[in-house]
Amino acid sequence: MDISPREFSKALFERIQAIEPAAQGLVLNEFCYALDDLHPEEGWDSIHPDTPEEVARTIRQRSFFEAVQVKRRENDRIVLDKSILHLTRMLFAGLVRGAYSAAWVKKLFYFDVRGFIFLPRTTYLTDAVVHHFGGKAFKSFEPRQNAFERVQDLGFRDFQEANAEIDGFFIEVVKKIISIQGTPILITLAGPSAAGKTEITERLIGSFEQLQKTTTTIEMDNFLFDRDLREDKPMGRETTHFNLFKQSLQDILQGKRITIPRYNFNTTSSSHDPQGRLKPGCSPLVIEPADIIFLEGNFPFHMDEIASLIGIKIVYLTDDPVRLKRKWKRDIDYRKKYDPTYFRNRYFKTQFLRADDIYLPLLEKADMLVDTTGAALWLTPAVAARLDGS
Amino acid sequence: MSNDGILSDPNLFSEALFEIMKSISSGMNELELYEFRYGLAELLPEGGWQTIRLERREQVEQRVNSRAFYDSIQIKPVLGDRIVLDAAIIQLSQMLFVGLVTGAYPPAWVAGHFYFDMRSFFFLHRTTYFTEKVLAHLGGEPYRRFARKQEALEPLHQVGYKAFREANAEVDGLFIQSVMKLIARRGTPILLALAGATAAGKTEIVERMGAAFKQAKRRTTSIELDNFFTDRDDREARGIDSQGKEALHFDLLTRALQDITQGKKIITPRYNFLDGSSSHDPDGRLKPGRVPVEVEPADIIFIEGNFPFLIDEIVHLIGIKVVYLTDDPIRLKRKWKRDIDYRKKYDLAYLRNRYFKDQFVMAQVAYIPQMEVCDMVVDTTGAALWTTPEIARQLDQA
Repeated sequence: MDISPREFSKALFERIQAIEPAAQGLVLNEFCYALDDLHPEEGWDSIHPDTPEEVARTIRQRSFFEAVQVKRRENDRIVLDKSILHLTRMLFAGLVRGAYSAAWVKKLFYFDVRGFIFLPRTTYLTDAVVHHFGGKAFKSFEPRQNAFERVQDLGFRDFQEANAEIDGFFIEVVKKIISIQGTPILITLAGPSAAGKTEITERLIGSFEQLQKTTTTIEMDNFLFDRDLREDKPMGRETTHFNLFKQSLQDILQGKRITIPRYNFNTTSSSHDPQGRLKPGCSPLVIEPADIIFLEGNFPFHMDEIASLIGIKIVYLTDDPVRLKRKWKRDIDYRKKYDPTYFRNRYFKTQFLRADDIYLPLLEKADMLVDTTGAALWLTPAVAARLDGS
Repeated sequence: MSNDGILSDPNLFSEALFEIMKSISSGMNELELYEFRYGLAELLPEGGWQTIRLERREQVEQRVNSRAFYDSIQIKPVLGDRIVLDAAIIQLSQMLFVGLVTGAYPPAWVAGHFYFDMRSFFFLHRTTYFTEKVLAHLGGEPYRRFARKQEALEPLHQVGYKAFREANAEVDGLFIQSVMKLIARRGTPILLALAGATAAGKTEIVERMGAAFKQAKRRTTSIELDNFFTDRDDREARGIDSQGKEALHFDLLTRALQDITQGKKIITPRYNFLDGSSSHDPDGRLKPGRVPVEVEPADIIFIEGNFPFLIDEIVHLIGIKVVYLTDDPIRLKRKWKRDIDYRKKYDLAYLRNRYFKDQFVMAQVAYIPQMEVCDMVVDTTGAALWTTPEIARQLDQA
């Protein structure tokens, strides 16, 4: 099919606007500027879309995401990973030529306007997760985050306002559980980058302080071994001061002050050796007892020995497209933390891998799921029963 | 709390600064304190805010109005493997922050001399384009002024095409009408030169004029002055900058302009920006294997570039000389959207260093000098069309 680049751009622009409302804020010229970056050297006719089944299979494979190169350079600049580029080009070409329907693309992918790439959608509420939480949400509100479909980047205030109802309800539920279970109590709050963990933790702490409860935080990263000893293995029994960790949790739950290792991110080394002895010249961290103790970090709290010590295991979730819009604003516009292309490669890659490694397994063990995008709070039947019984 | 206390506590400092900054930059109002702190982190002095020494206001004013200050700005300073902000740019904003917090610099003074760009997260100097000399040339007041709709763009951190075009609708419309009147009076073919800084909106207004002429059954074409550049190696070897006629195939340019105003088809050199080479050798002969640009005759011929009417020898060939002006803060917001968000063209620190520097330098070497000799200025930010008294008279007669 012979179609000029300009006609291709126009046709694609119409399809993308139908798929992604945020693209309606653009004029064709702007769309073309962004598209230039992805224009195939030998023209769009050189792109041959895979069948929809092949595409669907590819994006379910871990190896596809593992192979993404986040920092490959060409002419001194970090470039978009080849398979990310190819996937978006295929979807563009397939949309224009009718090989893929807009509905099918929208079901499997979302288009990020700032990044100008398609990313696969992650299903966090898998059948197993829904089943774990008793088949339906404990409480749902109007999903106000739907309004964010129209924006390209997202600031803190709009996010907070959209989540006001679900966040408020969540805090009340946590307070109620604490009043039932008593203190001291350990709470974990896990969630992907830019889901809103820091903000909601601050609000929780604020509301506990109003109740005259003391709070403290244990950063789980402090229990890491020296980086050299971990060999890139995930956080677990082999890579952490596991016995110290378990003992520390038991002690602080009995109202004792604890002394824990200190991990230095600059030198990537622990204050303690693998046998759990303080190294000469190093100082440990001392943590005072408190009523409510937050465990921060992505430690696998689904390990049984640890899980039994934790009073409330929470996953705080915000959908990938919204988190990405938050990261554009926070990490790129304000912090200027990453090269934008490195950032796109990395988000594409880790969105899948972290869900697979961390969040999906955690969800099947958590007591509570706060789904800010769905504006819903999910509780396990056991927790729901305890709440209703009180 | 004493100043010493605030300066030595980064949290207190950022809180106090945030409050003051809200009165200086309306873009600040959508931020939460913690977002402000993210932005501020890049400018936090290593030894704390108490280490920043303030200059007197007159010293600051003198510095930001001197060419030497901008010439010294490095656009690609590298630290580790990253391009970083130029040290003088950082130091200026640090000083202004501290002065605002301690009260040494009144907010009104800061806002008078500087604007704060939210995406850059630093202060830039405000350029005065309408100097006394420019005002005198343009008869002291605009030919026509409209409501300043670009004011609505001030709180935005970046500006897209739609919002920009809508804000300029009135002044753009009058400008196009006025050009058509002048052309009706002077006849065709006519050369129309449009000078304007990066992201002022040149391409869009030329497209709109093209469409308007097409409706009026007029043929249009355009000549890119950049195509007349000689080989970059040769220019660098001879030590000439890219602004004067020495940098161009000047004889070819003069002849091309003469020919096309006589209704002839012309053949111009083609410059390749990627490798810095011209299709023509220094003697003006087509190099083997290279393809020149062919320009068909037309009624209205646009000349686009940074310096279309700074070359005395060709000024008399140009029928209408226009400067299309958009204020620096708005252009920068357009560049964030266009060049960074959409095109992903530059490193973030590189763009900021370069804009800080070029904004001043280009105003002095290109735009203010052209405003002093042009026929018309379209000031999109001021929503005003300015003309020389002679042009105003011609427009009123038509």
